Amino acid sequence: MAGEATGGGLNIDPMSQFVVKVPSWLGGGNVEWYSITNVTLWMGLTVLAIAGLLIFGTRRRAIVPNRSQSIAEVIYGFIHSMVEDIAGKEGLKFFPYIFTIFMFILVANVLGLLPMSFTTTSHIAVTALMAVAIFIAVTILGFVKNGTKFLSLFWISSAPLPLRPILAIIELISYFVRPISHSIRLAGNMMAGHALVKVFAGFAGALGIFGVFPVLAVAILYPLETLVAVIQAYVFTILTCVYLNDALHPHH
Amino acid sequence: MSGDPDPKRLDALEARLDKVKERKAPKDKSQSAENQAQAGWRMVTELVVGICLGFGIGYGLDQLLGTTPWLMIVFLCFGFAAGIRTMMRTAKEIQDQTAKPGTGAAGKDDMYDDD
Repeated sequence: MAGEATGGGLNIDPMSQFVVKVPSWLGGGNVEWYSITNVTLWMGLTVLAIAGLLIFGTRRRAIVPNRSQSIAEVIYGFIHSMVEDIAGKEGLKFFPYIFTIFMFILVANVLGLLPMSFTTTSHIAVTALMAVAIFIAVTILGFVKNGTKFLSLFWISSAPLPLRPILAIIELISYFVRPISHSIRLAGNMMAGHALVKVFAGFAGALGIFGVFPVLAVAILYPLETLVAVIQAYVFTILTCVYLNDALHPHH
Repeated sequence: MSGDPDPKRLDALEARLDKVKERKAPKDKSQSAENQAQAGWRMVTELVVGICLGFGIGYGLDQLLGTTPWLMIVFLCFGFAAGIRTMMRTAKEIQDQTAKPGTGAAGKDDMYDDD
């Protein structure tokens, strides 16, 4: 993220921060399937940060929690009640998975806000994997729980018979809309925000003394980006709960 | 005795507490402007993705069956309908969510009986 524009002219390259590459201190070179890229690195750091908060932060198991323990407890309680509110008591069985997803996205988003860092969640490949995993899991769950009655989601019995096949196609397409919009929303938000910050930063280098204004804009944008990082993690998780609820109770 | 609670003062306190509660309540609502923006953004993506998905399916089937461009047109319409369908469902979901804490939820479900 450090590429400041050099003195003459505008050379703003907002998308270069999203390039997957091997960091030079890890050897550089081409990206192979086994190489440790910046994506791998920052995902690993994300997992370490989560472990640090949830394992080491709560290690003392104090009745009166210290700071890190109460942060962990508040997040845990928040997601727990969210799953229960939306997916019901049955949904709580899947709480560990949902909590894992929330923590991963939240910490990856927030780590991505650090200067020089890499935002793993700005890649469709990352978010689509999570969305598709949820999609497949929820679909299988729907069939296991409800058998062929799950297909009644696509066969609308209240509509007149000749219309039903057409409505079935529409329902089927709208069922497949969900994982796509699920993943695009997160990646799009992260990518757009980071590119915007980068564009303003590029102006700051090129404008000389008037560079104060773009820097001011970045200063305003940055809290907004922090907000977006947290809200997008929340939205992704709440939609996971909604889809889970649809699989558990498909009658509406 | 001075230890007895004075009913007048208690009433005054009650009134003041109510006022504070009233002042706080709308404040929580106004914070959900961010949520509304999120909901709008969510619906737009769903609509666009629906259309794109319909286009993709239609175009792919056209390539396979050699019926360019008819299936694409048909599935574009299906995709549009699917996008609107998902969008309406999201709208209903959000409406249910906002209606749940309050009491005005009675008549709203009737509007959606046809789906």
